[in-house]
Amino acid sequence: MNLIRSEFRKIRTTNVWWLFAIGALVLLALSFTINALNMHYGVLHQPDGGGVDPNSEEGAQLAALATPVALTSYMVTSGQYFGLMFVMLLGIITVTNEYYHQTATTTFLTTPHRTRVIVAKAVAGGFFGVLLWVITTAITIPATAIFLNGEGITPKFGDPDVIRAMLLNGVAYALWALIGIGIGVLIRSQIGATITAMVVYTVGTIAVSIIVTVLKNVLHWNWVDNIQWAMPSIASGLMTSGTDLPGQPHYWVGALVLIAWAAVTGVIGTLILRKRDIA
Amino acid sequence: MVAVDGLVHTVPMGSEITDGEIVVSGLTKHYKQVRAVDGLSFTVKPGRVTGFLGPNGAGKTTTLRMVLNLVTPTAGTATIGGSRYADLAAPLQSVGAVLEASSAHKGRTGRNHLRVLCAAAGLPDTRADEVLELVGLAPAAKRKFKGYSLGMKQRLGIAAAMLGDPQVLILDEPANGLDPEGIRWMRDFLQALAKRGRTILVSSHLLSEMELLADDVVIIAAGRLVAQGSVEEIIGNASSVAKVRVRTPKPDALLAALTGATAERPEDGVLLLSGVTAEQVGDAALAAGVALHELVAEMPDLERVFLDLTAGKEAIR
Ligand SMILES: Nc1ncnc2c1ncn2[C@@H]1O[C@H](COP(=O)(O)OP(=O)(O)OP(=O)(O)O)[C@@H](O)[C@H]1O
Ligand SMILES: [Mg+2]
Repeated sequence: MNLIRSEFRKIRTTNVWWLFAIGALVLLALSFTINALNMHYGVLHQPDGGGVDPNSEEGAQLAALATPVALTSYMVTSGQYFGLMFVMLLGIITVTNEYYHQTATTTFLTTPHRTRVIVAKAVAGGFFGVLLWVITTAITIPATAIFLNGEGITPKFGDPDVIRAMLLNGVAYALWALIGIGIGVLIRSQIGATITAMVVYTVGTIAVSIIVTVLKNVLHWNWVDNIQWAMPSIASGLMTSGTDLPGQPHYWVGALVLIAWAAVTGVIGTLILRKRDIA
Repeated sequence: MVAVDGLVHTVPMGSEITDGEIVVSGLTKHYKQVRAVDGLSFTVKPGRVTGFLGPNGAGKTTTLRMVLNLVTPTAGTATIGGSRYADLAAPLQSVGAVLEASSAHKGRTGRNHLRVLCAAAGLPDTRADEVLELVGLAPAAKRKFKGYSLGMKQRLGIAAAMLGDPQVLILDEPANGLDPEGIRWMRDFLQALAKRGRTILVSSHLLSEMELLADDVVIIAAGRLVAQGSVEEIIGNASSVAKVRVRTPKPDALLAALTGATAERPEDGVLLLSGVTAEQVGDAALAAGVALHELVAEMPDLERVFLDLTAGKEAIR
């Protein structure tokens, strides 16, 4: 408990947290707008059906997305993409700061049991993740209501699927802090860890999608489609899609993938840190 | 003002360990290229200031970091008050340490840095202000660490080490960056703590400072123990290298009257004799009827002994 208090204090007594909060909120506004435009023109008001065959898989997906439940989950979890990235970066920074500012010595003198330090960092990071989720959701709920009402659709906030999506979104925010901490332990350099993580998160996610599409369309390897769900960022989106969309695994597959990533990075990171010389 | 008076506590703290003897036994650390520390054994007694000396790269920092569980030894053990550092119930309340390459977040104030540690160690926040007062850093308490001078950073390190009012203090080059006033303050401070039964282990290069500060010394070179003992013992054992300086109008007559002495002649009419004591020289001069204008026993100082003891050992490896 003392340690968690100490880790909170570390975050609070520097200005990263509010810089990150501002960044996350600006990007939240941006992604909500993009999602709204996407839904408006891409799903709800496609000119002449957009030329998509309603009987194809894509057509079925669009139809499934157009249901009020799916729309509500989709819009209310807007900002997840960048929100999760900021939580991950916060996790990375809580660890790499100890090396960058040479406070690791003092930290581990105060607490020689290094596992406890990591657990405390995970709890503090997870808390800030959940806090960001609370703030984000408090903004997206009314925004979603306004948008959907404007489209003439009644938002389904009471639907169990939507509630589940919102709560799992919160879990994702907490788990990404842990993933960030694992990355921070593995790559000690602050700049190295942040840049690697951001590149993998953004470019990597897109690259995997492109590679999968290419393999599928060129080589007709349809099974590669399933590999993309192993990407933590894509798995997070899957976990918070309110309804099962055709051609997608169930939401809990996404949850399992994400938990596995958090557990693996966290455990490997802790094991390495326990052995490592602090100099 | 000897600052120990400033050790006011708002809460009864009492050190976690009562006997703070440090025992290092067979400690070894091999890096890929070097044997940084090689089968090192020594003990550090409570109630005394022990100087930890060695040339650059001798392995001092590595040894201290192994004692503090920051670096894993290749072999050997180190205990403080009978337990390994990692097994101490309340490390900060038992052992305080000021180490090289340890610092604070640049954007955090000195006070917040200490409060982070207070929280982790379960100490009340008021301790942060008490130790800031103790090291004379109170005026800069609310300034960010990045604006601190070298000496202020060092003082913040000492403040952090004193947070838990520990029984044992371990300091690696604490005089780095301190001004003469600060060095003097630290000497008084550490000696006063030792008088109150605390264990103080200080590494340093400043041998003249060490001679004033330390009761005992541990000298290492190339990762191995060279000498251990009280400062008097170490210097006394080396008295074979002590020299007697004589000024006389008849140096040759005096030399003829002395047996077993080897002489240097640094200037006209001056002899620098080794292998004899000042008494023997005085007696011989009287017997031979040689006038002496000056007779001084030149005791070697710690620096001299240190250089003799570590001469020929590979220095930087
Ligand atoms: N992490 C490391 N990796 C490889 N070699 C190391 C490492 N740390 C220390 N060494 C080597 O171990 C030896 C002892 O270093 P150490 O820092 O303990 O010396 P020191 O006595 O503290 O020297 P100084 O007086 O310069 O502070 C040196 O040769 C150094 O190069
Ligand atoms: Mg050193």
